[in-house]
Amino acid sequence: MPSDQTAILADVSSMLRTVLGDFGDDAEVTMDTTFRDDLGMESIDVVSLAGRLQARYGNAVNFALFASGLDVESVGELRVGQLVDYIADSLEKVPAGS
Amino acid sequence: MSMVRANGIEVHVEEVAPVGDRRGTVVLIHGMTSDSMASWFLTLAHPLAEAGMRVLLYDLRGHGRSVRPATGYRLDDFVDDLAALLAHWDVDEPVHLFGNSFGGTVAFTYAARHPDRVAGILTIESAPPTATWFARMARRLATAAETLADADAVVNSRPLTARRFRDASALLAETDLREQLPASALPDPATFSAITCPVLCLYGGESAVQELAGETARLVPQSRHVVVPGQKHTLLIKAPAQVRAEVLPWLTTRVH
Repeated sequence: MPSDQTAILADVSSMLRTVLGDFGDDAEVTMDTTFRDDLGMESIDVVSLAGRLQARYGNAVNFALFASGLDVESVGELRVGQLVDYIADSLEKVPAGS
Repeated sequence: MSMVRANGIEVHVEEVAPVGDRRGTVVLIHGMTSDSMASWFLTLAHPLAEAGMRVLLYDLRGHGRSVRPATGYRLDDFVDDLAALLAHWDVDEPVHLFGNSFGGTVAFTYAARHPDRVAGILTIESAPPTATWFARMARRLATAAETLADADAVVNSRPLTARRFRDASALLAETDLREQLPASALPDPATFSAITCPVLCLYGGESAVQELAGETARLVPQSRHVVVPGQKHTLLIKAPAQVRAEVLPWLTTRVH
């Protein structure tokens, strides 16, 4: 896994633990972890996660728009790796220095 | 996550900024018990922002990340919350109100009180606060309370996936919502004739809520009613693409 992905995964894991609060303490987060079945994410948690991603990455990463294309049911089936890839792709598209 | 104080309680709010030319402001209001702002956030919030709307969302009292007071669940409490939030958001133009199920009832009630402040109403699987609709809601709340009484069993068997279930169970078991909401004082049906803005009502073809369309059409004669075949009460989250296909053209042809 490229180093930027490793860093993003660490960021995302930290955000997920915060969003999930007490429920996320024991959760081991890998690229294959699924939002619903592994983490027990509810759709309202996805709203919180979108806010944290925006705070961390600004407008470069519009996870909420990405999620709205997936629809409510599919968001639960999302793997953390898909989110990490989406963030890495989004950040690559941002011109250097901006 | 943003918490604001409105009408005496802490309310979870979110905002999605418009993309490109401003077209107006919309407040998205979710439904009763196990619903939250997420149903709108993950389906229409961003497409609406892309269409130039300032999009405002909140979790109803007792729901999602908003506080769950022990009491204060009459229809008027929910409508007062919306009025307080519109003041908080400093909305200075007639606003669009989009409501899913009970959220649509809040929208209709606010619009009957303040017809000049509302530019348009979209409801999904909803009705104005009529005696028929509230009788139906009372039955649904009683059924939900029975199902959710076993929350502990469900929570124990699937600890990570049962939080929303537990929250809904607590709302029904630990607050006055079940008694207060169905017993709400309902507005005089004649007041709905004050609503003159465009109104679009969507229904699932497999849901009994569409039986209320006739009464809504009598109370709000300009309302347009569309049935999406094959869908149940979960129309918004099960068929968001079809909802978008009805709502976005309706909005862009009516909002100037």
